[in-house]
Amino acid sequence: MTPQPIILPGWSLAGGLLLLLLMGGASSWGIRRLVRGARQRRKGEPDWSLPQLDGATAGDSPIHRWEVRCKLVGMLGFAFLVVSLQDLRTAAVAGAITLSLLFVTRLPFDRSLARLLAMSGFLGMFLLVMPFSAPAHPGDTLIQFGNLESLPWNLRGLHKAATICLKACAVALLMEPLLATAPLTRTLQGLRRLGVPAAIGQMLLLAHRYSYVFKHEAWRMASGMRLRGFQPGSNRRALGAFGNFLGMLFVRSFERTERVYDAMQARGYRDRFPEPEPQPATAKDLLLAGFFLLLGVALLLADRCYFSTF
Amino acid sequence: MHISDGVLPTTVALGSYALSAVIAAWSLKRTRPEALPKVAVVTATFFVASLIHIPFGPTSVHLLLPGLVGALLGASGFIAILVGLLLQSLLFQFGGLTALGANALMMGLPALACGFFFHRFKGKTAKRQMLVGGLCGGLGTMLAALLLACLLTTGGEDFFGVAKLALAAHVPVIIIETIVTALTVSFLSRVKPELLQAPFQTRRKMP
Repeated sequence: MTPQPIILPGWSLAGGLLLLLLMGGASSWGIRRLVRGARQRRKGEPDWSLPQLDGATAGDSPIHRWEVRCKLVGMLGFAFLVVSLQDLRTAAVAGAITLSLLFVTRLPFDRSLARLLAMSGFLGMFLLVMPFSAPAHPGDTLIQFGNLESLPWNLRGLHKAATICLKACAVALLMEPLLATAPLTRTLQGLRRLGVPAAIGQMLLLAHRYSYVFKHEAWRMASGMRLRGFQPGSNRRALGAFGNFLGMLFVRSFERTERVYDAMQARGYRDRFPEPEPQPATAKDLLLAGFFLLLGVALLLADRCYFSTF
Repeated sequence: MHISDGVLPTTVALGSYALSAVIAAWSLKRTRPEALPKVAVVTATFFVASLIHIPFGPTSVHLLLPGLVGALLGASGFIAILVGLLLQSLLFQFGGLTALGANALMMGLPALACGFFFHRFKGKTAKRQMLVGGLCGGLGTMLAALLLACLLTTGGEDFFGVAKLALAAHVPVIIIETIVTALTVSFLSRVKPELLQAPFQTRRKMP
């Protein structure tokens, strides 16, 4: 048995979609302004900037002082518990908790905003499509617009999509307190001591460092192409130029790996980088990690026991 | 398109973490240990290349490059993709940290398949390498889109509509990727053909 839809006039769908588009456009424009306001960009020039991963290590807060292994276990455990939530209200509480962490750590907001903006396209797809595509179950609230009978709008789908968005935002807001409060080398050392193979951490460190180098290289090659009158487009000539551009980037990078590796060996590299002195984990660190895990478990229990009506 | 946090059921997220850990261990074993820093430096290039947007009609697409990673790195490609995706997730939030395993499977398995395909059929002539390279580029993106759709549908029938839209959104990427990969491979086979031999492997050739 499918539930009887509530019928709204057809223009409300068009109006609603228009409003949604306008709101989405305005908020993404606003965030973009906030994030890039300081940086002047020349028109038509692609944005080559790479953000700084561990930009705010100088701060002083309980999160900054937290031992890195306990921080990783506590926050990643919390993240996995948060993504298991199924209700809008508990997901909103999780989002509020991670947002409050930003205030505790006094980290700048622009990086977190940029993270939310990066997900907006993918999550917007869910918000737009899921209310229409969720099949009707008994007990659902359906809204039908005018005489568009084949396209009912399911509130359960909207609830699900909104929950996904809130969970994604909650975990994304957790990333800055997790990564920016300690130098990258220390975070990777923590991961290694937790059992992640040392090779992964070293490769990440090298790839991170060299992505700045190759970004610069690509930028120089792109300015050269622009100087010679290159017009980006999807015609045969422009794609040919893109293919040669990529090929040249790879040739240069493979040649550079040899030089980099020789230089590393000459400086005494023996399959590992020097690491900072390992921090000991105190009882306070363990307690804080336990607190985060308990918080996550409490959220999950509340989600499954009290809010399982949807 | 990268899967963000909170989309996949937790069992799927954890299961794909376990599976990609197993494949990454195999990939590490197939790479010569002294070559790991070199793979890392090449990973940085792929990372930068995937930031480049190519205009397509009213929008623009960015390259995914699983086919090219597979063709150039062979079995080391999986570990390169894992590190590249981790970097993208940490720097830009393209793909969530809890969905990293799923994203690595989505891009890494096509790369391994394309690496095998390329080294099996690449032949000797530049023309054939260009053709097979282009096929690899298209095939890699297509497989990645299919895996993405499969992963999304693990959430239940509510996700079918989103999975279909994600598949459709990849069609322009597949076209661009096929052409650009073919041209890049043809450039490499003219300029530096030894790069198309999977240089960091323990054995010279893929089985």
